[in-house]
Amino acid sequence: MKTLKRLLEPRFLTGILCAPVVLLSGLAAQNTQTSHAPQAAVPTNPLHPLTVIVSAAPTVLYPPEAGTNAHSKAAIIAPEKNMADRLYPDGVHLLLLQAGKATPLVPEFVASADANVSFDGKSILFAGKKTSADRWQIWELEIAEHKLRKVIGGTTNYFHPLYLPGRRLVYSRQTSHGFELEAALYDGTDRLALSHLGSQGTPVDVVAEDVLEDGRILFQTGFPMGVSGGSTIRPELYLVYSDGSGVESYRCDHAATQKLGGRWGGRQWSQGSFAGDVLFTHGRTLGRFSSPFASEVSMAAPAAEYAGLTETPSGDAIVSARHTARDRFSLMLLRPGTRIWKSFYAQPGMNLVEPVVVSSRVIPRRHPTALHPWTTANLMALDVRISRDGNLTTLPSKVQVEALGASGQAIVLGTAPVAEDGSYFVTVPGDKPIRFALLNAQGRIMRAQRGWFWARAGEQRICVGCHSGPEQAPENHLPGILLKTTVPVNLSGEAEGQK
Amino acid sequence: MSRHLWISARILALLVAVYAVRSVSPVHAVARPIVAVSSGTINRNERSEASQEYPNEARAIPVEQYASPVEMLMSPNGARLYVLCQESGEIQVLDAFSGRVLKRIGVGRVPRGFTLSPNADKLYVASSWDDHVAVIDTQRLQVIATWKVGAEPTSIAVDHSGTQLFVANRISNDVAVLNAKTGSEQRRLEAGRGASYLTMATDGSRLLVTHVYPNLGEYRTVPESEITVIDPHNAHVVERMPLHSIAGAFHVALSNDGHLGVVAHLHPKNLVPLAHVEHGWIFGDSITVFGTDIGKGIHGSVEVPLDELDRYFSYPFGVAIAPDKRHIYVTNAGADVVTVVDVSKLLAYIHAHPGGFAQNLGASAHYVTARIAVGANPRGVLLSRDGRHLYVANRLDDTVSVVNTSTERVEKTFPLDGPKTISALRKGERIFYSARYSFQGQIACTNCHIDSTFDGLTWDLEPDGFGIGIVDNRMLEDIRNTAPYKWNGSNPNIPTECGIRTEKYFWRSQNYNDRQLADLTLYIRSIPARPNRWRLPHGQMTSAQERGRALFVRSKDNFGNPIAEKNRCVYCHSGPMGTNQTSFDVGTGKRTDLSGVFDTPQLTNIALTAPYLHDGSARSLEEIWTLYNPADRHGRTNDLTKDQLNDLIEYLKTR
Repeated sequence: MKTLKRLLEPRFLTGILCAPVVLLSGLAAQNTQTSHAPQAAVPTNPLHPLTVIVSAAPTVLYPPEAGTNAHSKAAIIAPEKNMADRLYPDGVHLLLLQAGKATPLVPEFVASADANVSFDGKSILFAGKKTSADRWQIWELEIAEHKLRKVIGGTTNYFHPLYLPGRRLVYSRQTSHGFELEAALYDGTDRLALSHLGSQGTPVDVVAEDVLEDGRILFQTGFPMGVSGGSTIRPELYLVYSDGSGVESYRCDHAATQKLGGRWGGRQWSQGSFAGDVLFTHGRTLGRFSSPFASEVSMAAPAAEYAGLTETPSGDAIVSARHTARDRFSLMLLRPGTRIWKSFYAQPGMNLVEPVVVSSRVIPRRHPTALHPWTTANLMALDVRISRDGNLTTLPSKVQVEALGASGQAIVLGTAPVAEDGSYFVTVPGDKPIRFALLNAQGRIMRAQRGWFWARAGEQRICVGCHSGPEQAPENHLPGILLKTTVPVNLSGEAEGQK
Repeated sequence: MSRHLWISARILALLVAVYAVRSVSPVHAVARPIVAVSSGTINRNERSEASQEYPNEARAIPVEQYASPVEMLMSPNGARLYVLCQESGEIQVLDAFSGRVLKRIGVGRVPRGFTLSPNADKLYVASSWDDHVAVIDTQRLQVIATWKVGAEPTSIAVDHSGTQLFVANRISNDVAVLNAKTGSEQRRLEAGRGASYLTMATDGSRLLVTHVYPNLGEYRTVPESEITVIDPHNAHVVERMPLHSIAGAFHVALSNDGHLGVVAHLHPKNLVPLAHVEHGWIFGDSITVFGTDIGKGIHGSVEVPLDELDRYFSYPFGVAIAPDKRHIYVTNAGADVVTVVDVSKLLAYIHAHPGGFAQNLGASAHYVTARIAVGANPRGVLLSRDGRHLYVANRLDDTVSVVNTSTERVEKTFPLDGPKTISALRKGERIFYSARYSFQGQIACTNCHIDSTFDGLTWDLEPDGFGIGIVDNRMLEDIRNTAPYKWNGSNPNIPTECGIRTEKYFWRSQNYNDRQLADLTLYIRSIPARPNRWRLPHGQMTSAQERGRALFVRSKDNFGNPIAEKNRCVYCHSGPMGTNQTSFDVGTGKRTDLSGVFDTPQLTNIALTAPYLHDGSARSLEEIWTLYNPADRHGRTNDLTKDQLNDLIEYLKTR
């Protein structure tokens, strides 16, 4: 622990951050594993300062075989079990990898997983059980002092915590209808439900993956969102602000997930040529979202099954990978965008998944919530005809709003007129799964959302069109519906004035 | 010549920045900010601001004068680089290779544009606050003449024969044609609103004019700007090329063969409720390309977005086309980068998307090939004749970046003469002009307050609902004593206006910290009013202005009936700023307003800031009373004759 203490001294952390970017510089072959990549270009450095925390489990159930609907955590629907028990049926614990050695991070816990490093690199959030009778709880560890603090815990299970700016954290909380995102202050107070998907009849899991530089939470759930079961469901990456507003797909090139498999395990890169990009597991390879592009950018990567990746201070990646389902996951050091990798660490009989590098990093921007004190939300579209799936040539007559009932049934809340320019303006229930459909003059559905989404209570939001994609900016056009009225059609299911 | 005045923070709320004007002389004698201490009474709002701005009393603020380079020219032999410095009011002459400052030449207040004569023996500089052109002998590097021109000359160009100068006047919205030998004005050509930047075609056949403000249009309609095309030979406007949806056009460039033109500009989304920032919701940063290379003839133009899905490149300002036409270089002043556009890729994309792609944030991936980080607030760009080097004027760094166009990296950085310490005021100015505080870097204060003024637009802000509370954007000049702020008067001071409220409803992202907010507040409070062009020297007035003043303060109407005190112009628009800092209902509320009670706006340079009223529904001062005062609630005016109303307006223009 003394060594770890020294590693966490500010000067040492500075050294980690300032390490020059060299092709796989400082790569330490700390354990041997077959490498399928050229070795010549990969220098090694036995003094590599990387400190890594990883979840170690004898058995892991992800990523499952292709062709099933269970491509990730979020798609494994087994509400009778909590998430970690589903993923790690034979137990899991966090390992600290340092200078070629692995030691249990929190040996006083019977189970631990899902490590996330604080922005200053000094503390770790994780999910853990001190005794086998415990529920999974959120804990924080001050690494240098090995000081433990329970952050969130109670009668249900909590997983996958991430630090948020503003002394808050986000995590998944088990509910009667799956795992939902929730945020709280560091001391566990001021809890705020962020996601609102699923019902008792249709449970859905939502898992936070990363907090982006711009302050939004990158999370994973199935696509179409809010739909459970079915062979076509694939995990997909979404975004939401830290107050639960603004939920949307990161990109709308969803056909790619049908082709290559689900996208999950996203991490935003901060260094090197991929700085700002989000790298993730996509089926049996890695994928990348990059700011200039409206669709996923392919990137070279060794063919493998991946179970998490993390960025080193030099912009390289430590990935959890295995070649086949018969193998164990081990850690590989990979230069993103190449097929050059080298073993970083492996442990016989153990799967090492979801690694995180212990280092300081830039604090993401805090999102200043501007939610109104309402129970409902106001939503507008500028032109419902605009769609990534092809613009409608006929103007819909009405828009219909549905809410998800407790047993999974769709409940029609009502319809609102579409103005001549394709705009509409409605009030919808806040914090509930809803979806839209466009109706023609005869009341028949012209297009309908396949999935569900939510609007936060007090949110006011405008879409360019229906499924127009994040690449579509609005025309500077006064919405025709506002020329008729500035009062939204109330489809909230609440009486007027209950805002 | 730099002055350092260190002032205790406890009296900063009393500071009044004034500009000491010195006569133009060849040696660095220009507008110079002086900080003075007022002995006036502190009002409640000022006390409030002072306590918020400077919780720690031990702070001292240096007041400096910075070069603030905005434009550059190069001597024909490539040996000299002339750098136009806006704040120090001078030309700094640099050795183009070493960057050494050879000479500093004072030219007047707030120069914004300059040009070289065809044989490069003279440098003509437009000083926007002195309304004159300074003529510099480039051999002696001395000012040899100053010529009066129109209101706020901002850019200047010369014809190929060297006989005519063209000067874009931002306030008078025209282009003055001067005799290049004598400076005598020969003609005025009507341009668009806010005529600001000129570019002469290489063959001298066309002169292009761009405009920082949109032309006045109908209420809540799409802003329209234009490129005014002038035939320099005949000094006639030959075309007005529309820039649809554009408000805030800056530099325009033409390729050497004249077949490709590019203009950098802002694409505001002021008609859409500002519900959020992402997806280009508030501004698009774009260029428009035109010319025969586009394949649609000179009348054809295509708007080309420069932004990405998750990153914005705020405030495109300077633009240059490589001599071989392979690349376009655009400065993004709010993002501190130069964007490089591959012309062949762009043309291919344009032809593949004949329906346009102005709103497609994924488009730039197909033609933007580099983003080159430069200094703070990059403005003008200049390519060397061989195209190998790109010079970038970093206004708020006081440097010139020299970019190697092959490697697309900054090769050298030339520091300009001036203060080396960064004052709180300067820090505040940097915040004002930087988009880094808004979500994904989309907007800065200056997006709506162009050059620290206004944008001529009305906006639909989100907090009060969609389509409700439409507000005209108010000018920032000399606002320090005009609290409260916001049209509903709900913000008692500038820190409230620019702090949490801005973070929540404009930036939608983590704001600056308290110290930065204090710096920003200091800067905003220091923004001076530009010279009023309607005032005569020494406080004199024209007879019309005198008559108008009498109407402004009158207590009886044309029929001899007394006018209630609260219905006299001077009651609400009282005091030196023309406001009693109180809100009233003067009958101008609309169905889109939650309340008819509005803050009394100050009258500072009111002539410039159309449209008028809280929601911008009056396109002219005259319309305030002819269309929107039917019941005389906004002052007793319906008894006025047309001539009297004109007189009243003439007086108001002097405020």
